Amino acid sequence: MQKRIAICAVAQIKNDPNLWYARFQNMLLECFEGIMSQANVSFDMEKGIRTVITCSDDVWDARTISDNGMTDVVGAHFRGEEKMAQESLNGLGYAMASILSGHDDVVLYMGHMKESQPESRNMCTNLAFDPFYCRPLGMDFVNVNAMQARVYMEKSGVTEEHLAKIVVRSRQKAKENPFARENEPINEDDVMKSPLLADPLRQLHYYPTTDWAFGMLLCNEERVKEFTDKPVWITGYASCMDSYFLGDKDLTSNFSLKNATERALKKAGIKNVTKDIQLFELCDHAAYQLPMWAEGIGLAKEGKGGKWIDDGGMDEFNVNMSGGMLNGNPLLLGGAARAIECFYQLRGEAGKRQVKGAKRALAQSTYGAAGQHQAVVIFEV
Amino acid sequence: MEYWGVKVEDIFDTMNDRFRPEGAKGVTAKFGYDITGEGKWKIIVSEGLLEVIKTDDISDCVAVMACDGETFVGINIGKVDAANAFTSGKVKIEGDFGQFGKTARMFKKYVPKKAAMSTRDYILDMFGTLVSRFQPQNAPEEAVIVYDIGGADGGVWTAYIKDGKCELKEERAEKFTVKLEVQDAKDWVDVMLGKVDAFSLLSAGKAAIVGQTQLALKLGEIFAKYQDPMASGTPEQELIVLKKIISVDQKFSTGPVMGKFLNALKEKKILGNKCPKCGRIQLPAREVCAVCRVRVDEWVEVGPKGQVRYMEYVYYASPDPLTGETRETPYGMANILLDGCTGNDTFAHLIRRDQIDRIKGGKDDVSGTRVRPVWNEHRTGSIFDIKYFEIDE
Amino acid sequence: MAHKKNRNVAIIGIGQTKHSSHREDVNQPEMIHEAVSAALKDANISIKDVDCIVHGNMELFEMIHQPDLWHVLGTGAYGKDSIRITTGGTVGTTLACASDNLVASGMYDIVMAIGFEKLQEGHTTGGITNMADPLWFRNLQTGALTGSTAYDVIQEFGEDRAKRAAMMYRIIMDKHACLNPNAHRAFGLDFDQVETLMNTSPKLVGELRLIHMCSQSDGACAVIFASEKKAKELSKKPVWIRDHITIHREETFNIFGYHKDYPVLKTHKFAAEQLFKRNDIKNPLEYFDVFEMYDPAAWWGLDWLRDFFFLKGDEHLRLVENKEIMIGGSMPINPSGGVIASNPIGATALLRVAEAALQVRGDAGAHQIPKEVKHALASGFGGTMWTVLMMLEKELSW
Repeated sequence: MQKRIAICAVAQIKNDPNLWYARFQNMLLECFEGIMSQANVSFDMEKGIRTVITCSDDVWDARTISDNGMTDVVGAHFRGEEKMAQESLNGLGYAMASILSGHDDVVLYMGHMKESQPESRNMCTNLAFDPFYCRPLGMDFVNVNAMQARVYMEKSGVTEEHLAKIVVRSRQKAKENPFARENEPINEDDVMKSPLLADPLRQLHYYPTTDWAFGMLLCNEERVKEFTDKPVWITGYASCMDSYFLGDKDLTSNFSLKNATERALKKAGIKNVTKDIQLFELCDHAAYQLPMWAEGIGLAKEGKGGKWIDDGGMDEFNVNMSGGMLNGNPLLLGGAARAIECFYQLRGEAGKRQVKGAKRALAQSTYGAAGQHQAVVIFEV
Repeated sequence: MEYWGVKVEDIFDTMNDRFRPEGAKGVTAKFGYDITGEGKWKIIVSEGLLEVIKTDDISDCVAVMACDGETFVGINIGKVDAANAFTSGKVKIEGDFGQFGKTARMFKKYVPKKAAMSTRDYILDMFGTLVSRFQPQNAPEEAVIVYDIGGADGGVWTAYIKDGKCELKEERAEKFTVKLEVQDAKDWVDVMLGKVDAFSLLSAGKAAIVGQTQLALKLGEIFAKYQDPMASGTPEQELIVLKKIISVDQKFSTGPVMGKFLNALKEKKILGNKCPKCGRIQLPAREVCAVCRVRVDEWVEVGPKGQVRYMEYVYYASPDPLTGETRETPYGMANILLDGCTGNDTFAHLIRRDQIDRIKGGKDDVSGTRVRPVWNEHRTGSIFDIKYFEIDE
Repeated sequence: MAHKKNRNVAIIGIGQTKHSSHREDVNQPEMIHEAVSAALKDANISIKDVDCIVHGNMELFEMIHQPDLWHVLGTGAYGKDSIRITTGGTVGTTLACASDNLVASGMYDIVMAIGFEKLQEGHTTGGITNMADPLWFRNLQTGALTGSTAYDVIQEFGEDRAKRAAMMYRIIMDKHACLNPNAHRAFGLDFDQVETLMNTSPKLVGELRLIHMCSQSDGACAVIFASEKKAKELSKKPVWIRDHITIHREETFNIFGYHKDYPVLKTHKFAAEQLFKRNDIKNPLEYFDVFEMYDPAAWWGLDWLRDFFFLKGDEHLRLVENKEIMIGGSMPINPSGGVIASNPIGATALLRVAEAALQVRGDAGAHQIPKEVKHALASGFGGTMWTVLMMLEKELSW
């Protein structure tokens, strides 16, 4: 078991379908001021924040070195700044490394993403494929996820009805989350009748276009009392990369998620995932992913995702009390949103959706098509 | 002198053939070439026409390229890296560098000539390789194909196909499945090299098919394509470079601060915002003062006149990444201290192009050239509501 | 005094490709794989021994979104922890800093950093200009090209001396590059060309001429980092990471006031001051045996010597004029030929660390400096004048 780091403060704006009136600097500034007002922290070279980690993306911002535009509003002038150019949950893992290495006592972590800025999300994710083969075939995260959905649903007995149930539950939970994207109320029939994006994925099976920004203050165990009385600890982080070509992998094997989970749990010293962890936040970009990731983490038995939903698994294990990614977080920031829900829950500040007596939580995130890259973080109070 | 078997003259002598009028669109200029030990050439480009002259008088050229013969030939046939030769000073460009750059798009690549093969050579080579090009999997079980190629270079051959084998004899079979009659051997060579479509020969009456037309049309599958021995050899690896332009439309929000700043330009006003802590004035206006890490709320109108503190004199024709258009060079991008601003609170913008040679930067209390904005008539709330700054005189 | 660290970290493997303007013979993962294989071979380990891969480059230069997903075909990240972290031109040094942090934290024992760029697959100056705010500066900027440093040095030391010193610096870098088989550009320039080149090389911006500016290269670099325990088990010549620092600055270039009452704070100097202070190094020029500097242009390389080494007056010019920055000199700068010779941007700053480490090991081959290298410095540059510095040591004795 390794040492732990603390999340001292969290700030965010509300997830929004289209923040047309704000540029990302405005979004981040609100979060920056939020953190500064909560924690008595400075940018002193000896005792304060020397390193800021950011999360954003060049393609989505249409800006080379997208963190360059963030420097001013994240306080990084004449301080260090490093960009997590990957899914945001990995930024927490990297912050952990920066702090546990001894290099930094305190780290500010901030991220933004405006999915409403580019004309098409699929045009952006199409660029994640090689220019010779997969890109000309028109692959993007939606249609490749649809292929995974097809084989997974077959394997695990997940039906259209299950998916509808997942989406409706997500919307209900999100209603109790003041920072969640506001969506139209829907019922299961609406889900099953929503237009197909890529068979079997329907529009309501997929998370909607969202703009959002967040900030977090992290520090080492020695200095935590300076910044908060109620730290939430990060005790384990791991990630895993699967192979690239779809033909090279079993789309339902959960290879990368199983590895990431196993390694993160080992680092956090946790033996039994269902007994020792009371809350799970999963990055369900699409509805089918919720039971699929639940299988990968070990909440549901392999190949039994459908039955797990019928048996009330989502509520039994307190999965996605925030509403999940499915209700709307931007692609790159789903992991940060999951981590922030874990933070509120473990602090007992989750309002109506509070899970009583939660001591440990797990956040999962994924990037790439069909869950190619997976990350897992374990939290504790 | 020959370099890699090519003379400097060869490059110039073929320029007219290699000229691409579409690449010379909008260019009217004379370019000079001073090739050490080889002589001087001048090319005159005007309204999509080209004239190449060997002359010692290249003094009226807008730009002159100077280098030795080996480098010149090397660059033209791809043996010498042009950028490296240029950077290291092996190639010098005197005069208007930007204009000279346009010559790169005016010509097709020079391809060295090889000793030519005659029509007879080709005919013999084609039939000599016919059996080796036979594709039994695409062939009928049994067929007799007669090739009757007319003209002095022609001849008559018969291919006998049976049980997956092909035999070629220089004879005329009386009983055949199909017979091809071509009047001129040269036409047949052109068809085999892919220069002429066989159907155009047929429709022009220069060739005919007797017997099973269906089989004649399948000849391209029964025999693998004839490879021109004069064409550059098959590459060791099949390397393909995929060229793509990628664009995704974007909606960039201004937010309230940049929005106010840009909107003011519509009213011919330049608004900066002032840090409540250090008092610096930010241009363009920004949400925070990065130095003090505080939100900036106070607005001040500055300028519109000011003095240049430093100007970038840009010769490099860089593309405008928002449009892909290459900027006209040279141009001046100045850091202007607008009236009401101090210290390093300068404002970056362009200088009127015909005035850039007269701009002087300021130092300490000595003022740089005084400038004023030239406003666009139609203002939309963009940086180019100011066309550029010009000298205030 | 030393900067505190949870545990020590060493470089145990180094690999790079040949840097070139033409790598049409390989695609991106294949090019990366060349560097990865070389680094594993150098460390005498297999990919199975690596716990985590750290990947970095600039997405918009090749227009591949999150390229680590495709590049897994060449990086060896399959089944492993893998993160992607970037900063700009500095990204290579950021990869090294991140790898140092990841190993020092105790989270991973062996980490491989991979920096790459295939600049021929995009438009570099256009790509860099895309860094600027789309509403404002993107319409005005010319990538990383600026004549301002040339202007400053000429203002301070007079036109002739300044231009000669910059060209001397350039020619020294070329002489170094001629000794480095991996260098992209090695022209064979000589000192008798100073006069000609400084007057005839085509101008890009002001007195920044084509010959002064770095290349646009294709290339990749991989460096393997290990914990003290692993490094001692696996490597005969581990190179220890002592400390690193990253300093960014604001987005706007408000540094052109030219007024003595409003001095401009410089990131390179600030970073060096902070780093050397916390490591108790009073005279860096004396302390370090070699410096691999991210010098994108000869004028910058010349000017920045002053910032990094706290030099006064014309000391930095004299270092160049007296050829003290040459391989046999008192402070060899960029024995590899530096960035002017080879610049695959995402790999460039990691190459500075890699080349500095090769010097410490004594394994740099023809461009190895003659004196023993105990202490080496590597720098990264990018963004709006961002700095990363990393200190390497031969012995674990600070």
